[in-house]
Amino acid sequence: MSMQAGTESVSELDLPPVAAPGSAGRGPRLTGGRLVARAAPLAVPWLMLAALIAAYSSLQEGVLSREQLNLWTAATLTLLLVAAGQTIVILLGGIDLSVGGIVSLSTALAATQLGTGGSRLIGWAALIALLGFAAGAVNGFLVARLRLQPFIVTLATWSIWSGVALWVLPTEGGTVPESYLSWVNREALGIGAPVAVLLALVAFWIWFKRTPLGTGIRAIGSSENSAYLSGVPTSLTVTAAYALSGLFAALAGLFLVTQTASGSPTVGNDFILNSVAAVVIGGTSLFGGRGGLGGTIAGAFVLTVIGDLIFALDISSFWTPITTGVLLILAVLANSLTELYARRRARR
Amino acid sequence: MADLEARAVTKRFGGVLALDGVDFEADAGEVHALIGENGAGKSTFIKILTGAVRPDEGEVVLFGEPLAARSPRDAASHGVAAVFQELSLVPDLTVAENVWFRRERLTPLGTISRRRVRRDTRALFGRLDFPPLDPDIEVRSLSVAERQLVEVAKAVAGDPRVLILDEATSALSPKEVSWLLDLARRLAAGGMIVVYISHRLAEVREVASRITVFRNGHSVGVTEGAAASEDEIVSMMLGRRLERLYPDKEATATEAVALRVRDLRFGHRLRGIDLDLREGEILGVGGLQGQGQLELFLSLFGVLRARGTIELDGRPVKISSPRAALAAGIGLALVPEDRQNQGLLLPKSVRENVTLAVTKRFSRRGLLDLERERALVGDAIRQLSIVLSSPEQPVGSLSGGNQQKVVISKLLLTRAKVLLLYDLTRGVDVGTKGEIFQLMRNLAREGYAILFFSTDLQELIHVADRVAVISDGSVTGLLEGEAITEDRILRASVAGGTAA
Repeated sequence: MSMQAGTESVSELDLPPVAAPGSAGRGPRLTGGRLVARAAPLAVPWLMLAALIAAYSSLQEGVLSREQLNLWTAATLTLLLVAAGQTIVILLGGIDLSVGGIVSLSTALAATQLGTGGSRLIGWAALIALLGFAAGAVNGFLVARLRLQPFIVTLATWSIWSGVALWVLPTEGGTVPESYLSWVNREALGIGAPVAVLLALVAFWIWFKRTPLGTGIRAIGSSENSAYLSGVPTSLTVTAAYALSGLFAALAGLFLVTQTASGSPTVGNDFILNSVAAVVIGGTSLFGGRGGLGGTIAGAFVLTVIGDLIFALDISSFWTPITTGVLLILAVLANSLTELYARRRARR
Repeated sequence: MADLEARAVTKRFGGVLALDGVDFEADAGEVHALIGENGAGKSTFIKILTGAVRPDEGEVVLFGEPLAARSPRDAASHGVAAVFQELSLVPDLTVAENVWFRRERLTPLGTISRRRVRRDTRALFGRLDFPPLDPDIEVRSLSVAERQLVEVAKAVAGDPRVLILDEATSALSPKEVSWLLDLARRLAAGGMIVVYISHRLAEVREVASRITVFRNGHSVGVTEGAAASEDEIVSMMLGRRLERLYPDKEATATEAVALRVRDLRFGHRLRGIDLDLREGEILGVGGLQGQGQLELFLSLFGVLRARGTIELDGRPVKISSPRAALAAGIGLALVPEDRQNQGLLLPKSVRENVTLAVTKRFSRRGLLDLERERALVGDAIRQLSIVLSSPEQPVGSLSGGNQQKVVISKLLLTRAKVLLLYDLTRGVDVGTKGEIFQLMRNLAREGYAILFFSTDLQELIHVADRVAVISDGSVTGLLEGEAITEDRILRASVAGGTAA
């Protein structure tokens, strides 16, 4: 009884090794089509941003100046910091709605505690950042260890932190000391502090995405089981990702108070869905595994520039959310089209 | 004492005793095969070695030290690497990143250097005589066979002391299989313990110096690789003599053409396929892998939109989606290649999987008649003798062969008369294979028309009434009766390539 194709009999036939048609399907190479598909998620948001800036500069003088860069960066940085954390969590295949509550709480604490003066300022700023980190770690623990749905977990903790923020600072107000505000107005070589923070963020990302933690996060978003089988400490990685998101949200709050010079117990709510929008416009897949901060930066700036463009066009400001929505759909569409294109290429 | 030794290992899952006091011994320098039917306990045993599962009793000793791996990472740090049947590759990372994943040497900044990973991968591929594959390509765009090869490279990259190959050849072409067998021998010769698990006895006998046979959670014997005949090994696996693997070829085919395909084209993967599949016939589809067979099956099932004419039972049909394929004329149904992802919802119960596509059959005025559903599922389980503890058991917890049976029963309930079986027996053990072949013939007798693709030549030869060989997107040979031989199939397989 013979059961299987003997491998010997195949080699006896002496199949031509190169001419075998099998070799055409075997050993795929990085072709042009694949390169396009790989570059597209990053190219789409940046082209979108370039188009918006081009449109804006046709209406406005001096758009391509350092001054405008400083202005736009200051206007975008809060959202960008929140979105940086959101990027990490979405890469993991999760979502973080609690950033709204954490930003609010962070501004509330900043507006009530930083003003007490002296060396305690730095101590409190560090404590607020740490609180954000810890709040995020709680999300991560609930998601990773107790296997709860991230959407529900972070919705719940958003509610909790929003409540705590109201307790700390019941209404908008508080004061932020001059000494703290002044660092934002510093400039070097015509570059403001927000741009410096942005550059630091970019440097962080270039480093972070190549660390074991960074690749572990992407791997979990791509396939949690494969990541586990490959030896990624999954619970720890998930917890770390949410903790980082919490940290970034707290930092966003600490920056936001320099812009408003006061705190607000509800101000964070604007950043929940906008951070998700910035991430998605930036080409990061909501299913996890694909994307990064490179696109999110463009996505966040797109959201800022739209508002200015609508203002410059002198049309009603309700066009801002409408345009945002349309761009969001276009961005997602562009990504899925390139995805489809890549898959077609791979199949043929 | 042996270099790798398991002593009286026992593992229970709920009420099921998966391993019952199993002993196992393998030495450095040998390829040691582990075989057994589905459910014999091989997978559980491997999971214990690799730390995915912890034994209830007993211990594993590696080079004199107890090996109590608590996780795959822990096992890897003890030098145990496995090529898993359910592949462990991360789809969104490149080949090179996957090969070194979690083993990268870090730069002083604590980062992973892509350049170094790429260079190391090239060097590794060179050392292993690896089939040509671009290290920069993302794993998600590779075929199952290519992923399997990358998985092997990944396991070897860690330079393990124990290498476990678990059905690592199931998707490979004959050429790739012989490469892998050769690699296994070379690694063993270099002092590695290679544990080789496969349902393909020919491979096992070719590569293994010793064979351990598991049956029903026991280790029932060890034989020298070449010394035992296939018959003897199969008898050990089954605990009885397997009467025969392949059922008789009966003339069940009628004259009526159930499926007629004319000039089917899809890009340059299908270059005008003509086929006639008759009622009661098992038509084999052969050829080297990746010649358009998958595209043919996907086109017939409406997943790909190919150009050309398709007639069912003499009437032309338009098939634009799987739904349309199931509903068209006498109906077309497909068992897909990657059943874990495409055919089954693994976390869902057997019951839900079986009846998902046919809820209409047991609903009355929009409500599900659960009594009828239970009866249908019960019939299906009995008809195919699916081994399970309860219909509510998640499909993912069944053995590969039983999962395959669930797919088939799902197919039968759709009442489609033309069945497209794509590599149905991949990863299925001998006993189950025999049952599946018998089932196919029974279905043919009942008038089903079956299109059957297999990478295993012997299956085509012994099961199919006719064999259509596909090369480079067209049919390069149609063999019938005595003409279906290994030699002629292979000749037709390479015919297209030399012409191109």
